[in-house]
Amino acid sequence: MSKQILKDPKFESGLLVVGKDVPRADALPKVTGAAQYVADMHLPGMLHAAVLRSPHANAKILSIDTSAARTMPGVKAVITGEDTAKRKWGAFRPDLYPLAIGRVRYVGDEVAAVAATDPETARAAIDKIVVQYEPLPAVFSLDEAMAPGAPLVHDDAAGNIAHEFAFERGDVDAGFKASDVVVEGTWDSVRQWHSSLETIGCVAQWNSNRVTMWCNTQTPFLARGRYSVALGVPEAQVRVIQTEVGGGFGGKSGDDNCSVIAAILARKSGRAVKLIHTREEEFLASHPRMPMRYWVRLGFSKAGKVLAKEIRMWADNGAYTGKSQAILGAATVRHDALYKYPNARAKSTLLYTNLVPTGAFRGFGNPSADWAVEQAWDLAAEKLGIDVVDLLRMNAVVEGDVSPHNHKITSGELRQCIDKAADLIQWKEKRKHKKDGHGLGMGCSIHVNGRRSFGDWDGSSAIVRINEDGRATIITGEGEIGQGTYTVLKQIAAEELGLPYEDVDITRPDTDVHPHSLGALASRVTYVAGNAVKRAAAEANKQLMAAASEQFKKPVDELTIINGQIGPKNGAESEYKPVSAVVRANIYKRGGEAIVGVGNWDNPSEFPDHSRFGNESGAYNFAAQAVEVDVDRGTGQVHLKEISAVVDCGTVIHPAAAQGQVEGAVVQGIGLAMIEYFDWHQGTPTDPQYIDYPLPSADFIPKMHIGFADSYEPSGPFGAKGLGEIGLDAIPAAIANAIADAVGVRIHTLPITAEKIHRALHPEMYADEQKTPAQPPKGGVWSRLVTGKPSGTRPFKPELLQPKSLDEAVKLYAEGDTAIVSGGMSHAIRRERTGYPQAKRLMVVSRIPDLLAITNKNNGLQIGSAVNQQTLIERPELRERWTVLAESLDAAGHTRVRGMTTVGGSVGPLIGGFDMPVALVALNARVVTAAVEGRKTYALTEAFDKRFAKDEMLIAVEIDALPARSGSAFHKFLPRGVMETPTANAAAVVTLDASGKCIAARLAVGAVSWKPLIADLSALFGKSFDEAAIRAAVKPLREFAQPMANVRGSAMYKRNMAVEIGARTLIRAWQRAAQQK
Amino acid sequence: MLIKFTLNGDPAEVHLKSADRLLVDVLREDLQMTGTKHGCGIGACGTCTVIVDGAPVSSCLQLAALCDGANVRTIEGLDQAGVLHTVQQAFINKTALQCGICIPGHVMQCVSLIEKNPNPSDEEIRASADSVYCRCTGYVKIMDAYREAAALLKKAGKA
Repeated sequence: MSKQILKDPKFESGLLVVGKDVPRADALPKVTGAAQYVADMHLPGMLHAAVLRSPHANAKILSIDTSAARTMPGVKAVITGEDTAKRKWGAFRPDLYPLAIGRVRYVGDEVAAVAATDPETARAAIDKIVVQYEPLPAVFSLDEAMAPGAPLVHDDAAGNIAHEFAFERGDVDAGFKASDVVVEGTWDSVRQWHSSLETIGCVAQWNSNRVTMWCNTQTPFLARGRYSVALGVPEAQVRVIQTEVGGGFGGKSGDDNCSVIAAILARKSGRAVKLIHTREEEFLASHPRMPMRYWVRLGFSKAGKVLAKEIRMWADNGAYTGKSQAILGAATVRHDALYKYPNARAKSTLLYTNLVPTGAFRGFGNPSADWAVEQAWDLAAEKLGIDVVDLLRMNAVVEGDVSPHNHKITSGELRQCIDKAADLIQWKEKRKHKKDGHGLGMGCSIHVNGRRSFGDWDGSSAIVRINEDGRATIITGEGEIGQGTYTVLKQIAAEELGLPYEDVDITRPDTDVHPHSLGALASRVTYVAGNAVKRAAAEANKQLMAAASEQFKKPVDELTIINGQIGPKNGAESEYKPVSAVVRANIYKRGGEAIVGVGNWDNPSEFPDHSRFGNESGAYNFAAQAVEVDVDRGTGQVHLKEISAVVDCGTVIHPAAAQGQVEGAVVQGIGLAMIEYFDWHQGTPTDPQYIDYPLPSADFIPKMHIGFADSYEPSGPFGAKGLGEIGLDAIPAAIANAIADAVGVRIHTLPITAEKIHRALHPEMYADEQKTPAQPPKGGVWSRLVTGKPSGTRPFKPELLQPKSLDEAVKLYAEGDTAIVSGGMSHAIRRERTGYPQAKRLMVVSRIPDLLAITNKNNGLQIGSAVNQQTLIERPELRERWTVLAESLDAAGHTRVRGMTTVGGSVGPLIGGFDMPVALVALNARVVTAAVEGRKTYALTEAFDKRFAKDEMLIAVEIDALPARSGSAFHKFLPRGVMETPTANAAAVVTLDASGKCIAARLAVGAVSWKPLIADLSALFGKSFDEAAIRAAVKPLREFAQPMANVRGSAMYKRNMAVEIGARTLIRAWQRAAQQK
Repeated sequence: MLIKFTLNGDPAEVHLKSADRLLVDVLREDLQMTGTKHGCGIGACGTCTVIVDGAPVSSCLQLAALCDGANVRTIEGLDQAGVLHTVQQAFINKTALQCGICIPGHVMQCVSLIEKNPNPSDEEIRASADSVYCRCTGYVKIMDAYREAAALLKKAGKA
């Protein structure tokens, strides 16, 4: 039943703009490249900045010598902590200096910064700053942080406790005593990075004693307040202008030092300064999601009614606090308003560690809470013997409920969300056909619409002008960060004003111009700012109609405004006047007035006390999400099949944008659950970039069903609530619940990896595992960080060689110190970026005709080393005749990547995990090389064993035709489903005789040793297909693999996968051979 | 070192600061064509995708020196006399954008597919969209925009 009856009588006849998929307000500049992000800014004389960061997790700074950097040509300013106001700052617990004073507390802590005439010089200069450190013992985990006598991250935080609070509401002991079923468990979550594709940045410029900071911040006014503290100047001397924001998700809410450092450099140099985080810095020094250890116990009656809840939680603050103590609160209390908990007890502790500081990230603690509690509910359903959908529904809060913390549910359609989510995924139907390995899971969540956090106000203030041109302008400081604020606020204003959507403009936040605003946080903008804009528009509309009344000489209630035209109700078209005429006539008269409406609206919420008692938000939104998975028992890999997500956000203002919010949140939830993680060594991420830490990409996402509950929030603008965060919160738990349903494995620690599931399913395959202490990684970004040359800039200008003939190339290559630019994974530039040595000379071979040829040779192929992989895969005969090679190229990525990757680039580095060489080894390929003394042709396996000589250049690879009745296959095992180095890859070729017996078989397995491993398959020769025999033949690979433990799996998992993937690939090749006549 | 190339149909000339100067830096810094975005610097995210001689390229890995004589297309060159390219219109129609920072990459990637193959299969669309990250949309609407572009082309009789 629709609840629209509560609608404002003014809009009884229906809404014209709200609820419609109008074109987004920011679409045109964003599809044409005209949108101005902070990195796109250029001011006259602008300098570029770079930051020197700590390579130590905890150390005293003994000295900093900046003299070599200062004297570099092009360097205009070098700053250290001495150049700052030496004031600690932070949203709640000031503990962060703009640049380190005497001490660093995590790898990435800002130590010094440089401004120079170009970015390369700035980066090169930071490598010249010499810092002497005295390393101190550090704490890298919650356990280490709370151990008795643990080293202190901050001397004033005893026990490393940054914040702690506790509460008991009702009688929890009595509740558990009355319970028939009690479940409990502990769940751990992880850091997740916002990974906005635009990194944090700022352009700062001083004009006499005032600084203007162009920031991609979500919260311009809150940022201004904090930056003024950090800079040690009055707020009146700081102006923050929001640029286009290329993704926020909580990560750009003004807790970073980036903008502060830019402002200090600008003051010192007297020039405009631009500082933009590199991707690596975004990982090292933004404020990722706060990991928590969450113990929860729930008590239920036999019938399934929840009677008591108790939690104990510890959260990893990292080295500095930012917003973490508020996140701690949200993660502790919020969930208590989701179900009808009569009694709840909690204690939560925020602990400092010597790791990257954590902070606000979409969900604000709730994903970690839901990760634990929504799994506990799933356990309870199992123990109670009640379908989880029914159990959640039975206990769901409804309109009129009040939580133990006084959260008042003024609109709440959680039951509708649960029912719809179950229907969309066909829960009941699929339950009837349950198969092993197939599972369903559900999770629910609740979120605020604004939260009283920064003082006793969570309001918004807006101005709406109706201009003499007939257009309206919304003036608000809330800002657009991609979530659709401008569009939604324009819709609300247009509806209220009676103007067409296209005739309403909105301005970009500037603290000098706009009324005070809190910005994009806590899913508040639609609800709080929407109300303020609606009020301002109503006020403007009132003034306009009063003016019209005077001009038409009719009472207001006899006039109407339709689509920008004002006239008498039911009047003829000719009687109507455009809004512009009415406004102009109202201004141009003696004592005339412009039409300016002001609207203020404060969230009808309460400022919670220290124990977090208080109705923190005027309204709450809800979501239920259902997940369907298949789990592969042989590998532990989870295949996400379908996800349904149904949200109660009240009235949906822009359906497509609302769907987009939920779709995006679900995918970030998938990332948190299964994809986004990297390795750490001694407090340092070993590879802080998009290789080890990938994002979910289009190919990984499941079929999604998005729905909205029929709901209306009486206090919301047109009945609307927020929905920015809610779609993410319960996804990891719902996935884990589905996995438990599928294979009975309950995951307690994020991320959910294939290996964890495989280990739980097959403990016997790990019985002989020998644990070796973690080794520092070799090469890569990590080595740059620890060797104190973090920038990765080339200390010299390279020479570019572009030989026209092969002979010339061979000669140049023989001279040494020359890197061949060959594209792709081994692209010279990419390798340097990721930490490999830098060559003095770059040689381009892509225009040498000899190297670009693909020639038929004795029915086989000779493929030049400069042939790009896209050209090769487009060869019509490739897939039919050398399936294994075509499939290895499929696995190498996408058209764009293949277009930039060459055969030589893939084979030349002789890396055992690249796809193409593994396929070529299975095909018994030969390499053709050239050196000054001549050409050679020999087996690729020999090249792997002997390596190429220093002056030996790969010029081609050769493959032979496969005999009749041959089949081949390639398989790349990427448990995270995204393009990167695999856990294992395998290539197989099988030839059968007319009776189906094996004549020849070859299997190469990659990524588990320094070269592709070749299985001894002689036991299969002369035999018919027998899966057990194939598996037995492949099994010895487990012993002679020499895998490195890394983010792709432990050594033992990789050994097991070498066998599993090897066997599967061989079976597939055999089956294909059997299909050949 | 001087390179000459065609940029969005116009002649362009740039003196490269060094031999390892990358196309993305030439576009963004030397020519102040900032429509092309810089996302990761290692060819992983696709944000910096431009079209060089008809093929999509990660401009963060493309040596500018190799673009001497090439035909380079960027997001700024798609609309003609104020009329949006079909792909740009499709992204607007399908609300296939949020923060917008990856959109130049997605649009250029989509253009490179749709101009060669005006009626791509769902599988081809997925593979193409898969090559550019988006942190906001969850890709559903971006893939809808590919289909919309194909539909718009068909409607205009161009496919």
